[in-house]
Amino acid sequence: MTQNPAPALREGRRRFCLTLLGVPLAGAALLSARAAVGQERRYTIAFANLTEEPGVTLEGTGFTGAEIRSSFVLAARRLPLDLVFYDNQRDAKKAQANAEDAVARKVNLYVQYFPDPDANAAIAARLKTAGIPMLAVNYPVPGAPLYTADNLAAGRIAGEALGQFAARSWRGQPTVAVIVGAVEAKADRVPARVQGVVEGLRAKLPGVKPATLDTQGNPARVGALLGKYLAAHPGAKVLVAATDDATALAAKSALEGAGRASDVAIASHGVDRNIHGGINDKKEIDPNNRGSIVIGSVAFYLDRYGYDVLPLALRMLRGEPVPPRTVTRHLLITASNVFVEYPPYDMN
Amino acid sequence: MRIRSVLGVSAVMLLTSASLAFAQTDCKTLVPPSPWGPNDQTGATNRITPAVTKAAAAEIQEGKVVVMSYPLVDGIPLFGSRFTKTILTATSLAPGGAYGENQLTYMEDTWLSQSHVGTHLDGMGHIGRKDCYFNQTAMGKFINQNNMTKLGLEHLKSFATRGVLLDMVKVFQAAGKLKTNAACRKPCLDGGTLITPADLQAALRMYNVTLREGDIVVIHTGWGDLFEQFPKQNAVFNSAAPGIGKEAAKWLVSQKVVAVGADTWVVEVIPGEDPKEAFIVHNILLTDNGIHIIENVRTDLIAAEAAATNRATFFFSMTVPKAVGMTGNFVAIEGIR
Repeated sequence: MTQNPAPALREGRRRFCLTLLGVPLAGAALLSARAAVGQERRYTIAFANLTEEPGVTLEGTGFTGAEIRSSFVLAARRLPLDLVFYDNQRDAKKAQANAEDAVARKVNLYVQYFPDPDANAAIAARLKTAGIPMLAVNYPVPGAPLYTADNLAAGRIAGEALGQFAARSWRGQPTVAVIVGAVEAKADRVPARVQGVVEGLRAKLPGVKPATLDTQGNPARVGALLGKYLAAHPGAKVLVAATDDATALAAKSALEGAGRASDVAIASHGVDRNIHGGINDKKEIDPNNRGSIVIGSVAFYLDRYGYDVLPLALRMLRGEPVPPRTVTRHLLITASNVFVEYPPYDMN
Repeated sequence: MRIRSVLGVSAVMLLTSASLAFAQTDCKTLVPPSPWGPNDQTGATNRITPAVTKAAAAEIQEGKVVVMSYPLVDGIPLFGSRFTKTILTATSLAPGGAYGENQLTYMEDTWLSQSHVGTHLDGMGHIGRKDCYFNQTAMGKFINQNNMTKLGLEHLKSFATRGVLLDMVKVFQAAGKLKTNAACRKPCLDGGTLITPADLQAALRMYNVTLREGDIVVIHTGWGDLFEQFPKQNAVFNSAAPGIGKEAAKWLVSQKVVAVGADTWVVEVIPGEDPKEAFIVHNILLTDNGIHIIENVRTDLIAAEAAATNRATFFFSMTVPKAVGMTGNFVAIEGIR
């Protein structure tokens, strides 16, 4: 809420402006500065998305490539940028063809979102020859600053949240922990997320050794896997770390079906539209659903990548220093802060 | 005795904290004061002086009246969980129901809805920051179960002033940047299209108009065509909106306008510029500056009239009921030329 300066500040600004009016030279300088802003250079930035195949989700979350692309479109509205979009279609040849097209278009900067190190190296060499700087998303590109999710940090946040919940609510009661989801999905770096959960749990509940249940990315398998686990721990309180939101919701459903909802707390990862909604689109994480056994989900903000990446790109183009690695600001989203982080504007 | 004292003190503390729960915010840190003084509950209609109205009357040159509001009927797109339901009472039409030898009959309606439906005005009590509303009003102290006891519509002055149409469709077409929506039957700015101060100024230049203090600005985006297709395109209409951003709102504030209207449900751009801000333009205009927002204004007819005559100004005629303690109300608007 910084739109309106405090009265004292506004008075200060008014005096400052009056002073300027009294000094013609300073006023002229102000006008020329404004003119310079008006003539600000526009840049063309290419974004080569990993895939925009409908329904395909990315990074072990519920977000799609279309949502990432949309975030670039929305973020660019206030910036002196024109965007060119490419779909790498998870294909190295396509990725290289996209880079060639960008060279032909003489874009000012290329944002590459592609996991293949060999293809990325070849594209980096080609663009370097063409004098086009690169910025990498989630997967390194030689010589390019990297913007990436931090799965280890995100996992730690979820693990610590579960540990804190247990310490606060279940003190002295037998407690077990399980990590469920696509736990082996190396391509999506989910194992780092799992490692983070383990570390976070250990920090708060040193005695708990979490088990892992691999759904291979299929939430329909959660019920059976979790059912067996619950049967083996009939009297225990259960902490569930879901690697993604769809898995968290499947786990909640399975636990309710098994009559164990009162014994469980779930923390998730992603904060996609499966789990948070708005004024009408009521979902699991909602201010009016504070009693949910899903205590929260760690935000990955793939739907806001453009808001983080494009300012970095602009800084590069203006010759300003950019850190070699910038990570997503992961945050536990709960019923208490969901409307702050994701203000609802759903009117349907 | 000692226990009783402790309990008594605790009860007093509880009561005190309960009453504070309604208004704990120091509104002086969140909302600026009204330029019309600490007791002002009126806001920007203070700008509509007799001189402003008289000058606006010069816009009436042909006596032509242009409709600028949409029909209010079940099925129109509504914000969030709002609804409309009308029930006709016509009992006296039944045999034997007429009164007296003159056989008088009557009918009336029960109108069930919210105040912010259809073409409507947002009043000073509609939008705040925490519990702080226009003119640093700690609203928690001024609400009851039925209405507000401060900032209600009854405090507003006349809206009889000059209206200025800003045709964004023409501006974006002229700049070669119009991205329309497939559901619009006529050219429209697509949802999410940001309108900047430069765009507003281009629209003024297009018709050689300079804004005056006390004007009401009406923005034509073409998005209202989706409203007109109700209920078919309600979901598209509500899903997003072209509109002004923060800088454009601040520029309009600097022009000392009375109200900003548009043919969208929200006037401001949706999705907003910053995904972590909620309807921030509403805060800038209403909460901070007492400038009204008028939503779902029918702009296509006045835009066509302006294009045909190369004149984008008109006498703004709008009826706002003296609805005591209300935050807003549906309105009828006519542009008179």
